Amino acid sequence: MLNDLKVGFLSAKSSIKRGNKKTLAFIVFVLALIFMNLVFLPSMMGGMTGMFNNFMIYPYGDIVVEPSGDNIYINNADNVLQKVRAIPDVSAATKRLDAGVSIKHKHKVVGASITGLFPTEEYDISQYPYIISEGEFLGDLAQDEIIIGAMLAEGYFGSEIYDNLGEVKPGSFVNVTYNNGVQRTYKVKGIMEGTFELTDLNALVHYEEIKNVYGLDEGKATSVVIRVKDADNSAKVKEKIIAAGVKEQVFTNNEKSDAILRQAMESLDLVNVISKYVSLIVGATLILIIVYINVLNRKKEIGILKAVGISPRSIVISYAFISMFYVSMGILAGLVLYFILMYYFTISPVVFYESIEIIPEIQGELIIQSIFTMLTMSIIAGVLPAWRVSKESILNAIWGR
Amino acid sequence: MDEKTLIKIKNLERYYKTDSIIVKALNGVSFEIQKGEFIAIMGASGSGKTTMLRILGLIDKPTKGEYIINNLNVVDLPEEERTYYRLTQLGYVFQDYALIKEMSAVENISILSLMEGKNKKESIGEAHEALTKVGLGDKDKRVPDELSGGEKQRVAVARAIAKKPKILFADEPCANLDTHTSEQILEVLKELNQKYGQTIVMVTHEPWHTRYVSRLIQLKDGLIVSDKKLRG
Repeated sequence: MLNDLKVGFLSAKSSIKRGNKKTLAFIVFVLALIFMNLVFLPSMMGGMTGMFNNFMIYPYGDIVVEPSGDNIYINNADNVLQKVRAIPDVSAATKRLDAGVSIKHKHKVVGASITGLFPTEEYDISQYPYIISEGEFLGDLAQDEIIIGAMLAEGYFGSEIYDNLGEVKPGSFVNVTYNNGVQRTYKVKGIMEGTFELTDLNALVHYEEIKNVYGLDEGKATSVVIRVKDADNSAKVKEKIIAAGVKEQVFTNNEKSDAILRQAMESLDLVNVISKYVSLIVGATLILIIVYINVLNRKKEIGILKAVGISPRSIVISYAFISMFYVSMGILAGLVLYFILMYYFTISPVVFYESIEIIPEIQGELIIQSIFTMLTMSIIAGVLPAWRVSKESILNAIWGR
Repeated sequence: MDEKTLIKIKNLERYYKTDSIIVKALNGVSFEIQKGEFIAIMGASGSGKTTMLRILGLIDKPTKGEYIINNLNVVDLPEEERTYYRLTQLGYVFQDYALIKEMSAVENISILSLMEGKNKKESIGEAHEALTKVGLGDKDKRVPDELSGGEKQRVAVARAIAKKPKILFADEPCANLDTHTSEQILEVLKELNQKYGQTIVMVTHEPWHTRYVSRLIQLKDGLIVSDKKLRG
C-alpha cells in the first residue's frame, strides 16, 4: 500500500507540475466559487439569524421564566428572582409585567403592548435604556411617565407601515386604556428606537404602574428576564435554574426566537440547504467531468502503466491525489475570496429595512464541514472514473476501446 | 525444463471472438527460449506475432495452452500476481514509446522501482544507470516532448531494462524511426544482449533487423513456419 501511495503521489505530482496551467487555474477558480457558494450564503443567513437573536434580548434576555400552565402571572416572582440570582452564572435578573393597551394621542388611537419594568435594573438586562433616540429613559421613581416605541410615533422608521399616534414627542401627553378598562394619562419621557417591531411597537412604564392598574401584589410578574455571564452557556444555566426549584416554564433566548422565527428561519434554511446541495452536485459533477476527461485522454497511458507493472491501485490513488489537489487549491482560493467578502460585508453591511444592518457571521464549523465535504467529494469524483478504467483489460485501455 | 531454458510455450492458442466469427490469431504454437537469446519474431500482418508477444509479456492471456517461465505456469496467475510479475521479472518496449508525457525520463523509469518498494534515491540511481546504458545519461530531466523519436525509444528501452528483467520484450521498437535511429536502438539491444546477457524477444517486420539477433522465429496464420538459429 505504501508503494501504491508513493507511486500514486509521484504520478499525480508530475501530472500537476507539467500539466496545462491555464486549465488548472480555470478549474481552481470554478472550485473556489463552488466552495464560496457553500459557505457564503449560510454566513449571511447566520448574520441574519444572529441579528434576530439579538432582538430577542429585549423581551426575553438570555433566559426567560414565564407562568406555568394557564396562569397569567408568576405568583412568586420575587422567590424566583431570589433563586435565580443565587446562581453564579447569572449576571442579572429582573421581573416585568406585560399588558395589552390602547394608546390615544389627540385623535389617534393605536393598539400596543406595554411593559412594566424596573428602569435601573434594565441597564443590566436589556438595551432599552440605550436605544432612546429622543428624550430620556425612565427613572427608578418614574410615575405617570411612558416610553413610546418609535413605530408608534409619526416620522420614525417603520411608523408609516403601522397605525401611529401622530406627532408624539417627549413632553407630549398620551392616554392609555388598559384591557381592564382603567385609563391613565402619561407624559412621554422618551422615544425608543430598536428598528424592530418587538421593541418599536411597544411602550414602557414603571412596574409599579401596571401593578397598581391591575391591583396586583408585589410578587406578581408576567416574566422574569435573566442575563447570564456567558450567553453560549444559556442552556446549562437553564438546567441550573430548573434544578434550583423554579417550577415555572423556563426558556432560553434561542428557544423563544426559534418559536417566533421558526417559519422564517425554516424557509431560509430550506433555501440554504437547496443552494448547498446544488453547489455540491455542480462541484461533484465538475470534478467528475474534469477527472473523467483526464482519465479518458490518458486511457492509453493507464493501460501502459498497467502493462509495465504499475498496480491499478496506484493509478486510482494518483487520480485521487490529482482530484484532491484541484479541490484543495479551490478551497484555498475560495477561503481567500470568502474572507475578502466577509471583510467587505463587515465594513459595508447589507442594509435591510433601510437601517437594519446584516453583518455576516463567520461560521468555523460550517467552513470545516464544507472543506471536509468537498475533499470527500473530490476523492469520490477522482476515484470513480480512474477505478473504472483501471479495471479494464490492458489491451482495451491501450486501444482506447 | 533444464537450467538454460527460461520460457516454454506449448500448444498456445489465442482466439478472438467477434459478433459472427472467431479469429484464430495463434493456432497451437510451441517453442522454448533459452537464457541469453536475442530472438526476432517475424511474419506478415495478421500472422500473430504481436499477439504472441503480448501473451509472452503477460499483457494478454491465451485461450488454450501452457506458458511456463522459470518453471512457473503463468497462465492462471491472478491479475495482481501477473502485474507484480510484469513489474519484477519482465520488461516491455512498445512500438510507440509509451512514455508518460508529464514525467521526465528519469521519472518514467524510477516509478517502476518505487512500485517495487525501493526508496527514491535507489530508484533514481537505477534509472540513471539504465539511461546511461542507452546513452541518455545527460538527458534524464527531459520530458518526452523534449526528446527526439529515437531518444524516446531509448528511454522506453531504459525503462524496460532498469529492473534487470529476466526477459525483455520489444514490440516493433523501430516502427516509427528512421533507419539511422533504428540502428542506434538495435545496437543498444544488441549490446544489452551481448554485454549483459539480457534475453530479448523482439517483434519486427524489417528483414535487416535480423542482423542483430541470434534466432529468428517466423509466423504465418498463427503457426510457426520457421525457427532457426542465426548466430551464437
